[in-house]
Amino acid sequence: MTGLRLEHVTKKFKEFTAVNDVSFEVKDGEFVVVLGASGSGKSTILRLIAGLEVQTSGHVYIGDMEVDDYEPRDRNIAMVFQSYALYPHLTAYNNIAFALRVRRVPRDDDPDRYRRRTREEIDERVRHAAELLGITDTLEKKPAALSGGQRQRVALARAIVRDPEAFLLDEPLSNLDAKIRSSARIELKRLHDQLKQTFVFVTHDQSEAMTLADRLVIVDHGRLLQYDTPERVLRDPASQFVASFVGSPDMVFLEGAVESRAGAASFVLGPVRIPVRGETAPGPVTLGIRPWDVSIGPENAPGGIPAVVRGVERLGSSDQLYLELTAPGAAPAPGVSVRAMGRAYENQVGDSVSVSIDPDHALFFDKDGARVHSLETAPPA
Amino acid sequence: MRRRRGRRWVRLLRAAASHAVLILAVVFALFPIYFIVITSFSTIPIASITAQVLIPKVGQLTFASYRAALYTQSPAFTALLENSLIFAGSAAAIGMGLAAFTGFALSKFNFPGRRAFVYFILIISLFPSFLLIIPYYFMFAKLDLIDTYPGLIIPYSAGAVVFSGILVKNYMDSIPDDIEEAALIDGLSRTGAFFRVLIPLCTPVLGLAAFLAFVGPYTDYALAHVFITSSAKETLALNLYAIATGDTGEQNYGVVTAFALVMSLPIVAFYIAFQRYIIGGLTLGGVRG
Amino acid sequence: MADLRDQTLGFRLRREWPAYIYLIPTTVVLLFLNAYPVAYTVYISMTDFGTGGKGSLLYYHYIGLANYVTALTTNSSVTLTLLENSLFWAAGSVALFLAMGLGLATVMNQELRGRAVYRTLILLPWAMPAFITILVWSNMWQYDYGIINELLATVGIRPIDWLGHADSAWAALFITNLWLSFPFYTVVFLATMQAIPKDLYEAASIDGAGSFSRFGRITLPYLAPTIVFVGLMGFLFTFNNFYPIYLITSGGPGISTQIFITESYNQAFGSVGASPHLSTAALYSVLDFVIIVAITVVVVWRTDLTRNWLK
Repeated sequence: MTGLRLEHVTKKFKEFTAVNDVSFEVKDGEFVVVLGASGSGKSTILRLIAGLEVQTSGHVYIGDMEVDDYEPRDRNIAMVFQSYALYPHLTAYNNIAFALRVRRVPRDDDPDRYRRRTREEIDERVRHAAELLGITDTLEKKPAALSGGQRQRVALARAIVRDPEAFLLDEPLSNLDAKIRSSARIELKRLHDQLKQTFVFVTHDQSEAMTLADRLVIVDHGRLLQYDTPERVLRDPASQFVASFVGSPDMVFLEGAVESRAGAASFVLGPVRIPVRGETAPGPVTLGIRPWDVSIGPENAPGGIPAVVRGVERLGSSDQLYLELTAPGAAPAPGVSVRAMGRAYENQVGDSVSVSIDPDHALFFDKDGARVHSLETAPPA
Repeated sequence: MRRRRGRRWVRLLRAAASHAVLILAVVFALFPIYFIVITSFSTIPIASITAQVLIPKVGQLTFASYRAALYTQSPAFTALLENSLIFAGSAAAIGMGLAAFTGFALSKFNFPGRRAFVYFILIISLFPSFLLIIPYYFMFAKLDLIDTYPGLIIPYSAGAVVFSGILVKNYMDSIPDDIEEAALIDGLSRTGAFFRVLIPLCTPVLGLAAFLAFVGPYTDYALAHVFITSSAKETLALNLYAIATGDTGEQNYGVVTAFALVMSLPIVAFYIAFQRYIIGGLTLGGVRG
Repeated sequence: MADLRDQTLGFRLRREWPAYIYLIPTTVVLLFLNAYPVAYTVYISMTDFGTGGKGSLLYYHYIGLANYVTALTTNSSVTLTLLENSLFWAAGSVALFLAMGLGLATVMNQELRGRAVYRTLILLPWAMPAFITILVWSNMWQYDYGIINELLATVGIRPIDWLGHADSAWAALFITNLWLSFPFYTVVFLATMQAIPKDLYEAASIDGAGSFSRFGRITLPYLAPTIVFVGLMGFLFTFNNFYPIYLITSGGPGISTQIFITESYNQAFGSVGASPHLSTAALYSVLDFVIIVAITVVVVWRTDLTRNWLK
């Protein structure tokens, strides 16, 4: 049980750069989620750690050992595949026991020499793992006879039955029915708490990532965009892409401009001016705000942006409203929808309302999507 | 109503015509086989075969031809069978091994020269195997391998290597890479994963490759005719040719057919049992569906 | 494994080299038992081996393309006959296979009582070892005691000397060959037809297509790749299908049903006692091979048949 580390790792497939200069460190016992869209290079990162691919440049460390030239079998990591990759010709029991039979362990009397595990040792470990995952009853079945959930558990059992340095999980929940996916998520988290081992988990599902991760690695086009705790990624995203990728419902983006008048700067959107402080040249800027930091008030409320309700999505505890900004001369152009949380019974389609944002939680991005850290909203004078 | 009834008549007519066509096809397919079976149980000597033979009479059926074929032939049927099994069995085992290695390399590796290698083996395999016998004869004569077991087993083993290599490759292509990768993670080398995971998963196709590598030598006449000179190594196929064409003097058609049926029975059983699978394999994945 | 097609050569070699190890046995076998013999055959075809007139097999000379010149000039009528026969034999057989296979498959591809039974019974000829059934067929075609003439006699037809005339000998060969192969073609076409999505036919019916138009517009286009594939395979196989001709007509009467492969075998091993005409045999082997390769290359280039094997 150890941590692992990637140091300036790049993986090129001739023209295509799948992983571009990625560095991060996973601490011992940490649960790290690599989050990215499909084709972002997140699975390649996992395969590089496992040794199934070899990086073009950079180094991979498991513990303190550089393992660049190590075959997968010598890296002593466990992996759960998206398809589970169970051996179809073996029973669940033999699938789980496979690695134990293949790998040798140091002898008690002479640690430099190796021996095979005994049948009893293997049986004890397999049964323990099966118990932990609640699949004791299905051990004699072959994968084809198992349900999706059972297969996923067998795949997990196959990983935990060994004593690996780290667990690599490649979207292990994505092939499950939506119904059991969320319970499997909780269970996986519980398993990690029990095992206290290093987990690297790859997914494209941001809510899965937010639930599971101690820390999140967000990748796009092979680049690492942000490596932080879910809370900080949510609150303090490094870029507009990250901000739009995490959090549900999606962050609201309002395109306006920074104007400087009489020495005081403000973010201007139509009739609305939000004082900001900071040192930025005047020009177009995007304001980002979480939907729950947007409030809806009566028409013409002071400081509000005029808008019309165009759609209502009933979620239960609160409803999601789709708004169209109607401020004259406002950017964005009319027709761009803004999502906000509100009460459907208070607002109906067609209503004219005004939108107010909590200036304390507004974030600013430049036209390239980079975070403008120097800008922050000033308390109203 | 009237229109519907009309359609029903058309349907019935069509079904009747379909059955008629299929029954004709079945008669065509089965007639020679029926003829072989009837002849093998018949007591009527060859010279007086008439169409009446085709309708058997209970009193005229006998196992005499089978007894003759199995017990009174020279060389003995068991000796012939033993030789055939040695030749065909060895060829099947070696051929299967070659096919497994070839299929693995072509399916799971992307080595430089792969495409060229496939073209090379495809083109080389177009040279008719019957015509290889001519150069083989001189090559094997120089090596002193004429009329020896290895002398036949070696060319037999090579007979189906390209075909079954591609057969195994196509099958292995259908095994997801991550199964093999799981084995690498579990602690095996690629060779270990090949033997412990891929080979067991390929049992069906390897069985087919072995079977196809078996049938050729088992029923080979052309090469054996040239390479086998001593009766101690004579095979079932050689002997069948001899008794069927009257090379041995008397020509007893009952014995010929009884011999032929006993010889083909295991092959027929295998073909029928695994028909869908074999047909899929024989079209090498070049056929959809 | 991983798709490394786009990797640099050195990188690929470092990861993929074990493939060469796995290919060693097959490569050795192919070099020793295919490549070398083919080269040797080409060489023999350029000598006077067996035809030099010295009476001894041990003395033969390299004579360049002289045999080829002879085959194409003084001996051109024989060469041409062999070429015509080989092509006629292969193309005619394949045409019959395809016609009967498609016809029967179409009939069987409908809701029909007992379809599975028909299928199994029709498959039986294919399951019997061909060498054995061809031997039986060769006896069935005999003039004096063959069962076919006996059957014809029961309906009042005088016995036919099937193997004594070129036309009837070809008929006997084609019927035998059709019997050997139609089961396979029927079942392959049937399997392909059954894989055609049913809603295609339903949509066509709603659009008012009759059964002929449905066959022409849906079934045939869908079957086309299969037809080309099994057609080519059947052609290559039949072009070099040795036993039917060797065992039934021996190329006779005269050389009217002789093809390259049987003539080559006969020249090499056919006549007991006489000196084998090995250079002639090799010559026909080479011609056979060249024709086969040429046809294959053209068909494969035009149809992309090997995509599955090269993927």
